[in-house]
Amino acid sequence: MREPILKVNNLHYSYGNGNPALDGISVDIYKGEKIAVIGSNGSGKSTFFLNANGVLKADHGEISYQGTVINKKNLRELRKNIGIVFQEADNQIIASTVMAEVGFGPMNLKLPKEEVIERVEEALSYMNILDFKDRPPHYLSGGEKKRVTIADVIAMKSEVIIFDEPTAALDPLNAQMLEEVLVKLGEEGKTMLISTHDVDFAYRWAERAIVFDQGKIIADGTPLDIFKNTGILEQANLKRPAMLDVYEMLVEKKMVADTKDYPTSPQDLKVLLEKQFKFA
Amino acid sequence: MNTSLNIREKRFIAVVAAIALVFGFTPVANAMHIMEGYLPVGFCIAWGVICIPFLIAGYMSMKKTLKENPKTITLLAMAGAYVFVLSSLKIPSVTGSCSHMTGTGLGAILFGPAPISILGLIVLVFQSTLLAHGGVTTLGANTFSMAVAGPFAAYGIYKLGLKLKINKHVVVFLAAALGDFFTYLITSFQLALAYPSEAGGVAASSIKFLAVFAPTQIPLAIIEGILTVVIIIGLETYAQPELNDLGYLTGGVR
Amino acid sequence: MENSLGKSINFIRTSEKAEHQVTHHHKIGHKHGEGSAIDFYAYASKLRCWNPTFKVVFSFLTLLLCIGLNNPFVSIAVIIGMAYLTVLKGGLSLAAYISVLMIPITFIIMGTIAIGVDFSSQPIGQFNLFLGFGYLFTSVDKLQEMAFLMLKVFGAISAMIMMTLSTPSSEIIGVLRKAHVPKLIIELMNLIYRYIFILMDVFNNMRNSADSRQGYCDFKTSCTTFGSVASNLLVVSLKKANAYYTAMEARGYEGDLIFLEDEKKMPMRHLVIGAAFIIFLIILGIMTH
Repeated sequence: MREPILKVNNLHYSYGNGNPALDGISVDIYKGEKIAVIGSNGSGKSTFFLNANGVLKADHGEISYQGTVINKKNLRELRKNIGIVFQEADNQIIASTVMAEVGFGPMNLKLPKEEVIERVEEALSYMNILDFKDRPPHYLSGGEKKRVTIADVIAMKSEVIIFDEPTAALDPLNAQMLEEVLVKLGEEGKTMLISTHDVDFAYRWAERAIVFDQGKIIADGTPLDIFKNTGILEQANLKRPAMLDVYEMLVEKKMVADTKDYPTSPQDLKVLLEKQFKFA
Repeated sequence: MNTSLNIREKRFIAVVAAIALVFGFTPVANAMHIMEGYLPVGFCIAWGVICIPFLIAGYMSMKKTLKENPKTITLLAMAGAYVFVLSSLKIPSVTGSCSHMTGTGLGAILFGPAPISILGLIVLVFQSTLLAHGGVTTLGANTFSMAVAGPFAAYGIYKLGLKLKINKHVVVFLAAALGDFFTYLITSFQLALAYPSEAGGVAASSIKFLAVFAPTQIPLAIIEGILTVVIIIGLETYAQPELNDLGYLTGGVR
Repeated sequence: MENSLGKSINFIRTSEKAEHQVTHHHKIGHKHGEGSAIDFYAYASKLRCWNPTFKVVFSFLTLLLCIGLNNPFVSIAVIIGMAYLTVLKGGLSLAAYISVLMIPITFIIMGTIAIGVDFSSQPIGQFNLFLGFGYLFTSVDKLQEMAFLMLKVFGAISAMIMMTLSTPSSEIIGVLRKAHVPKLIIELMNLIYRYIFILMDVFNNMRNSADSRQGYCDFKTSCTTFGSVASNLLVVSLKKANAYYTAMEARGYEGDLIFLEDEKKMPMRHLVIGAAFIIFLIILGIMTH
């Protein structure tokens, strides 16, 4: 049995207004997993992320990173290895040039300056924004700012990367750019957690989905299992992915044979149709 | 009577009229930043030195707040940015002219006068670099009038008024308007010290500067007072928790 | 492919912004809430690649000499030299340059008149104007002093805006850090500089949305709208302050705000020409004393 990279055990957190924001969260996350975290607004996703990174301190429960329980002393290890890309880029970017911004994390890791510069350039070329180096963030567009915030985390070389609603407020072109980056990061074996309201995206991208509702995890499994479970969808106020509906309709109307090979994107469906109709 | 003097008188009137016309076309009334180049080197240094004790006091109080609560750093910076943005906004006006608040009265009421001295200094630096209001050599004089004297006056009036149990909104109005007015008095005095009148010395010169800037600065002080009251009313109605948050910046409104 | 597209989109955006601000600045006046034109010009300046410490020290020395020597010839030399640097070397349009130079014009005119014109109960000046209760008077000497003062002020302003029109504030802050300005002040300046633009954006959105609902239809409504927008802006900025602290902590912030700064080369040529100009100003000042 492999060891989880991040182990969260019975986490409780409350913002001090009485209502628990997290009410006994336990979850094991393994290296290289691609996880979609879904649930309605205020269900505890962001609070969970901030706890996982150690910014918020849980009232109860513990977090272990690669087998080590996190306490005050090794908190820096946790922050170094778990990076968050925040939902609103303008709440994350704090420096006045792109270079200083991406260098902020590595500088806080107290790395020598040469290495900081090297990492910054690496992260910027990774995100295809090396020529923005000397630009101030206030003359960048929304999509460009998003790339900068992703470069922020790449420069820290975090093992686990958390994206808090990354596709919100992105135009289609930038959303596509984001998915390409996610695929690239996945190929490099990064562990990723992404919170999203875009069920179609979750369905096609994730290998595992965790559903939050009122501070609890109400489901944890493959996206397919979760999106086929009407009870959970109703409880968490979720929609079904369009591709799942389309596939089931096609099966129901006997237009394709049910091979249990669920397509998650139009491209997949096309491949499936071509395969089936070649034999037909 | 000497006729040539009469011609000179007419010319003089023409010049004055021309200047009045220029005013009609440049209706830009900034808060009274003394511009770069107006003060001789000695005055630049002297005003800077006078500010130092206030700045040190502000610095110490900030350090203390930060030690108790490190999270205050972003809050203080936001407060500074807020004062800057507020002072760069065009405020409503009847005549269509373009003028700005100083925001220091509101700042002093909300954050207390101590942090405002440092924040005010930083805001003045950005006003000179980003907006070309004020200058580097006149930073000392401007800091004294706008980040020390004005806010302290506003804060003093505010506290005094509350003690005397005057209606709070009236107190806020008086604090902001008089704080602004006080800045205008100090600036005029600073200019007069550097340029005393041949006939009547510093006193006469102060009156000259006061008179020249009165048409823009007195309405501005009143509008600043009104707007500050409107802002405070807005905050009281829907931002009570945030106002309490500000409490630990050595509190104003609670 | 995707990247080149992104770049071209961005170019359009930048030039739009530039155009907007330049046209805005053809008339005398200044911006309200759209952001800072000076900041924008600083990023666009061809002098941006110059060593910021050099630019700050050079413009400050020029400024000091202009004020300290108090000499109209020096003032004129400074005005010409700085205009040359900013417009010809820096590539800023002359119209934009003049509009920035004219921002404080009201103060200059009013302040200078107050200095040049005096008041007395007796007509003791060369030129007198009877006002019923006394005389306004001035003299040729006084008028000359006014003219020289204006030259000095414009010289001083042009020395300072040479720096601000070519050096973004973040780089000026870097120079201040090297000059050992206390750390807390540097940290606050860095944060404030960034936040100014965030709040400007928020303000613009709020103002536009209020404007679209007739929030500025008359003076009284304008005052109420201005007040509510301003108080709302404060609430938003306080919330953002918390969000920012969280984001900083998430990236390992532990109480020291340190940014990576770019080191810019300091060619000998700049140093020599800069020093020559300073020496020239001093000699000019002494010779025409």
